[in-house]
Amino acid sequence: MWNILKTFFILEKSNKKNIFAFIFVGAFVLSLMFFVKTEDLGNPIKEKSGEFQSVSSALSKFQNVDATDRGNGSDLYKNLVLQQRLISTQSMSLKMDRPELFLDAAIELARLRANSFDLEGFDGVASYLPSRIENEFDRVFYQYIKKTGLSLTTNSLSFYQFLAYLFGILGSVWFIFISIYSCGIMIEDFRHTSLIKGYPISFDKYVLGKCISSMLIVGVILLELFVCSLPLIYFQGLGNPSYPIAIFDGVFKVYPIYKFLGLSILYMILIAIFTILLSVILNVLLKNMYLTLFVELLLFILPMLFPNMMNLVPFNPFNYMNFTSILNGQTLEFENPVDLNSTHGLIYIGMSIAIMVVAVKYFLTTGKLKKI
Amino acid sequence: MWPYYKFEFYQFITNKKNIAIYVLLLFFSCYYALKIAPTYDPIEKVDESEIEARFLTREEFLNTVVINDGTHHFTRFAAAIFPEWNVYDKGRLDAIKQNDLKEYAEATNKWYGYSDKMIFTRGNGVLFYHPRYYTFGNNYATMDGHYAYLYSASRYKGYAEGNSKLSINVFEERTALQTLQRLLHSYLPFILIVSCIFFTVDIVLKDRRYPTLLQGLPLSDWKKLIVKGAVSLIGSIGALVPLSVGLLIIGIQSGFGDFNLPVPIYFSAEKTFSNILLGEYILQNMLIMIFWFLFMISLLLLASVTLKNEFANLLVGCAFVIGELTYFGRGNGIFWDVQWYPTSYVQVGQVLSGYRNYLYNSEALTIVNGLFVMGLCTGIFLFFTFLISNHRKFKLL
Repeated sequence: MWNILKTFFILEKSNKKNIFAFIFVGAFVLSLMFFVKTEDLGNPIKEKSGEFQSVSSALSKFQNVDATDRGNGSDLYKNLVLQQRLISTQSMSLKMDRPELFLDAAIELARLRANSFDLEGFDGVASYLPSRIENEFDRVFYQYIKKTGLSLTTNSLSFYQFLAYLFGILGSVWFIFISIYSCGIMIEDFRHTSLIKGYPISFDKYVLGKCISSMLIVGVILLELFVCSLPLIYFQGLGNPSYPIAIFDGVFKVYPIYKFLGLSILYMILIAIFTILLSVILNVLLKNMYLTLFVELLLFILPMLFPNMMNLVPFNPFNYMNFTSILNGQTLEFENPVDLNSTHGLIYIGMSIAIMVVAVKYFLTTGKLKKI
Repeated sequence: MWPYYKFEFYQFITNKKNIAIYVLLLFFSCYYALKIAPTYDPIEKVDESEIEARFLTREEFLNTVVINDGTHHFTRFAAAIFPEWNVYDKGRLDAIKQNDLKEYAEATNKWYGYSDKMIFTRGNGVLFYHPRYYTFGNNYATMDGHYAYLYSASRYKGYAEGNSKLSINVFEERTALQTLQRLLHSYLPFILIVSCIFFTVDIVLKDRRYPTLLQGLPLSDWKKLIVKGAVSLIGSIGALVPLSVGLLIIGIQSGFGDFNLPVPIYFSAEKTFSNILLGEYILQNMLIMIFWFLFMISLLLLASVTLKNEFANLLVGCAFVIGELTYFGRGNGIFWDVQWYPTSYVQVGQVLSGYRNYLYNSEALTIVNGLFVMGLCTGIFLFFTFLISNHRKFKLL
């Protein structure tokens, strides 16, 4: 076993594909930095002015009347007027640099919005306001900040903030990247079937060795993500590793950035193992790397094309391949909301890996390999 | 060369991967036609009740308002602008009730023109575009509305002046050809370019499997590469065949439209719209699309002879497709000469309709510049491919 691993390492070391993958990942991280910079993401003043405009247009649907408690406006109208006032307060507090005022206004705003969802006529103005889910995220986030007394950070390019953003983006595309990377995992060896047949080990050991060496490359890629972000420490500062991020895992709660990163990396490693095993199986069955890739991508997007499938088969591991959308609670906003839980996702992916390992051990043998 | 071309072409169409791409395109076009296209819900639609509600409210206001010294200036403003506005709304309402579409188009053209003039220049904080532009998180709602209103004004002017057969589906851009126009404006170019990448990615390197077969051919490497490029160009254009099936389905459902319908083009120097014919617009799109195919094929040929790795080909191709994201931003055309990057032209339909110019606040993203930049890059890629493939030590595989 050790010998074959050594052979694989030598092969991987000289494989041009890995070098290109490293270059691509590095370029991706750098261009994402530029993207964050040019889009000016996370600029709260800009966001608040947009929010103000949205509420104004929601209010334009109402007659201007007395909005005090004793006034004759509808409840929703009063609620919206209060929201608008709080958003103005937030904008002012940002300009005057009074974070505690901003925080109080934010919590009050989230509370008001939570009330507004049940008021009469809300459907007419729903598109101008954040959804219930987004509002819940805001609420837990600001309440946590208030409770712990952390200071609000707005620099989305400091090291940890950027990493959180980067892993959020990667969560959506990681499966695609790994399936492109691994779709030809066995094909190159098929070109020399006699070579494989000559190895003095069984097929499942061979697959295991292949997976280990590929996973090593995946590990290097993960490390590279951190290394490429390092320059930000110098240019933009370190940021706070325990700054909260609001996520959904069955309940709305906040994770500190380091915990979020840990969960993301766990997901990414499991997804990588899953995809590599899937590629192995599809390679043997289809004997074509592009067909493998297309089948994988099709399986990936099927739950998005037919969202009702998620309700029907919640244990389909492909529901969880885009783990950012799970953590963002996006599946709750469907017509038929699905309560996909990120912890369950890990279990389902783990179980699928186990099933595939068994399948490789008992159903795939060297005899299946033919030269293509 | 011809027999080799036939040989390559046969290999191309029997390649499992290429067949899979055609099947996938067919699947997606049918999915789009059956599932997505019917749910299309434009903001600027023909909505009689909406017009009526607005008209009646304003009419009542105008009938009851009394202007004197104590009147608030907003009231005066409203009383000054609503009469003309209401004339247009009345015209639209009467026309749609009598089902006189020509008349409706004319009144709607005037309505949009007047509305935009009022809202954009004088409506600061009081008048708004259609509320659906002001969704949560959209910081550019006013700009979006401005573009859409001017676009609609120009479009309806075209309907009123042209001699195409009009229908509600035409007004709401639901017919097959207009759907094609809308798709060219959104993600169809991406689909076509990515298909082209997948067609071309292995066209050189697939020969590694049977190297002995090709060694006897009396053709130089350069000529082989050109033939391969030609085959994959034909194959990429062939991707339109499965896509047109979806178009056919949409056509049966909601009419085909015709090639004489107007397409508004934004001219950023004058900040105005003017119409061209839909047929002309589609032809221009095809032209740039073919230049994109040539660009991608020559890029991938160059990558194939230098990097010699299919995975690398894929990454290089994709990098050019998504490259624009790294520098795209509203108004960036002022600081960046975006027109000199080929990646700026990836949204083919948006470049041709002037929408990219509007977003970038630039004037230079035009079809001529596009063809020049893409052609120049294609030439450079082919030149280097030529140099490398004619090098003494070069081996194709």
